[in-house]
Amino acid sequence: MNQAAPSPARFLACDAFVTAAAYAPGVAAFTLGDGTVRLVRDDAEETAIAAHDGAALCLAAWADGFVSGGDDGRLVRIGADGAMEEIFRTGGKWIEQVAASPASGALACAAGKEAIVFARPGAAPRRFTHPATVMGLAFDPKGKRIAAAHYNGVTLWWIGAENASGALLEWKGSHTAVLWHPGGEFIVTAMQENALHGWRLADKQHMRMAGYPAKVKSMTFFAKGKWLATAGAESVICWPFDGKGPMGRNAREVGPQGSICTAVAAHPARGLIASGHADGSLWLTRFEDDKAACVRAPAAAPVSALSWRPDGGRLAFGCEDGAAGVLNFEPANV
Amino acid sequence: MTQPSAIPVTVLTGYLGAGKTTLLNRILTEQHGKKYAVIVNEFGEIGIDNDLVVDADEEVFEMNNGCICCTVRGDLIRILANLMKRKGKFDAILIETTGLADPSPVAQTFFVDEDVRAKTRLDAIVTVVDAKHILSSLKSAKEAREQIAFADVILLNKADLADAAELDAAEAAIRHINPLAVIHRTTKSGVALDEILDRGAFDLERILAIEPNFLEGGHHHDHEEDVQSFSFETTRPMDGEALTHWLQTTLQTRGQDILRSKGIFDVKGETKRFVFQGVHMLMDGDLTSPWKPDEARRSRMVFIGRNLDQDELKRGFDSCIAA
Repeated sequence: MNQAAPSPARFLACDAFVTAAAYAPGVAAFTLGDGTVRLVRDDAEETAIAAHDGAALCLAAWADGFVSGGDDGRLVRIGADGAMEEIFRTGGKWIEQVAASPASGALACAAGKEAIVFARPGAAPRRFTHPATVMGLAFDPKGKRIAAAHYNGVTLWWIGAENASGALLEWKGSHTAVLWHPGGEFIVTAMQENALHGWRLADKQHMRMAGYPAKVKSMTFFAKGKWLATAGAESVICWPFDGKGPMGRNAREVGPQGSICTAVAAHPARGLIASGHADGSLWLTRFEDDKAACVRAPAAAPVSALSWRPDGGRLAFGCEDGAAGVLNFEPANV
Repeated sequence: MTQPSAIPVTVLTGYLGAGKTTLLNRILTEQHGKKYAVIVNEFGEIGIDNDLVVDADEEVFEMNNGCICCTVRGDLIRILANLMKRKGKFDAILIETTGLADPSPVAQTFFVDEDVRAKTRLDAIVTVVDAKHILSSLKSAKEAREQIAFADVILLNKADLADAAELDAAEAAIRHINPLAVIHRTTKSGVALDEILDRGAFDLERILAIEPNFLEGGHHHDHEEDVQSFSFETTRPMDGEALTHWLQTTLQTRGQDILRSKGIFDVKGETKRFVFQGVHMLMDGDLTSPWKPDEARRSRMVFIGRNLDQDELKRGFDSCIAA
């Protein structure tokens, strides 16, 4: 292991829990437990936007800017320039999940048992109702279907279909997050019981991925969907998703060994996995040969948010105590 | 079971009309300088005078952990996790449950979920009952019996509307189910706040003695009530290994029927007392404060549950006494 300190790096002390991070062209955003959204432009200009009355709980990059949801029941669009516009308001239900599709421009948020879906910027909202609270949302690669995770399974909807009826993928228990495989072939959920569950969509074959010491709070596909990197263990656990999926195959453990991984984000191109840990440390691991470098030393609080710029040149991170920053990995700095 | 800095959570249970909301508003409006987050179910129906009121759905989830009675409140896990992301906005959390709610999933949430355990602690379960109606409720409704069985503090409310004989009969019936709870006879839910808040009822370190209060003579086994309690005691030291094994197997095999259990034990060879508590099959136990040199050491255990076999439990307890 070697130490690589990227420079220049930009650090923020936000003084509130960083609930999410995302990147739009030229600008990183962080949502905070004090209701603000902080924008950090690549030219280092910073803006704080009072977006929510309460806590800002979720964030996605959308339509060249961002969209955030909060416990004030508001869904707010935030331009890369900091302009703010409310696009939806619930009757009091918290907005805890938001998802966007770069492919179709669709946007969705979860409020209570409903998923509220906008087919494109400016489109009227459609509401899809579930048997229990929606705890995770993910679009398919084309942005035409959406998966909503809830108690006892995942419901898949065609967002444009008239008289839409959801297709239920059933599995007993509480599903707290969902991902749609970039090739469209698999759905994976994180569960309350320190495990993952998955379905192969072609035949609804179940996939069980268990044995985590902690809840899996972050997961991401990488290498064009051949692998799934997950938090929830003392190292980064990666499951193979090429061919038939992970059934009967071993997971690979990569990255640092020690502090529980709390956030993962895969570099968009270079086979690098960024991992944040409960001790506040931040690591980059090259998956191919499992070479890991510490890019942020252990600090006061767990890492709670991670996001790469779409070209992989910068990495935004945030922590439970409000520490946040953007690390620069542009070629001149590496 | 939790961090000392964790935010205390008080759970208010009781039938609609017993005085739960009156108690809630009393807590919120008293001049104590504390800020509360309040989690309610009938959002907006009854005025609650507080800045932060959260609407919950009472979503009861079964855990896939091989324990059939292990249910949690999925909505609470979500709400508490998100409340903890708010910046320094409150000192404590109050959860009001619906009148017909079984308290087990709420209590078990604080044993089972790692995030809830890391940042909050269950302080006490407070049950408000209507003194005039509690006897008939106990006979007719399983929920009423469960809410009494789970309580750490019970307000025998609307005491002004019942006569002395009714109050005594109500208290005797409550004691038969739950000999450990502190009972207050109240009017309009009037009680000093330090009697219901910051009780540390689930804090092993604060459980120094178990003094079950069985009222004798006021009770007859003449109706179909099923929740009752048994207490066992000895002044001879216990065998630590046998005790742990017995507690584990008893809760594993009988935990569906054992609602709450609590014990303090003098374990042979230990200078500290071993304190134990359980909610259904979930248990929490540790060596806590040392016995004082002049203190009479003894072991005492209470089970609260339905259809309990007193003889079997007694045999188990006795079998743990060190040779």
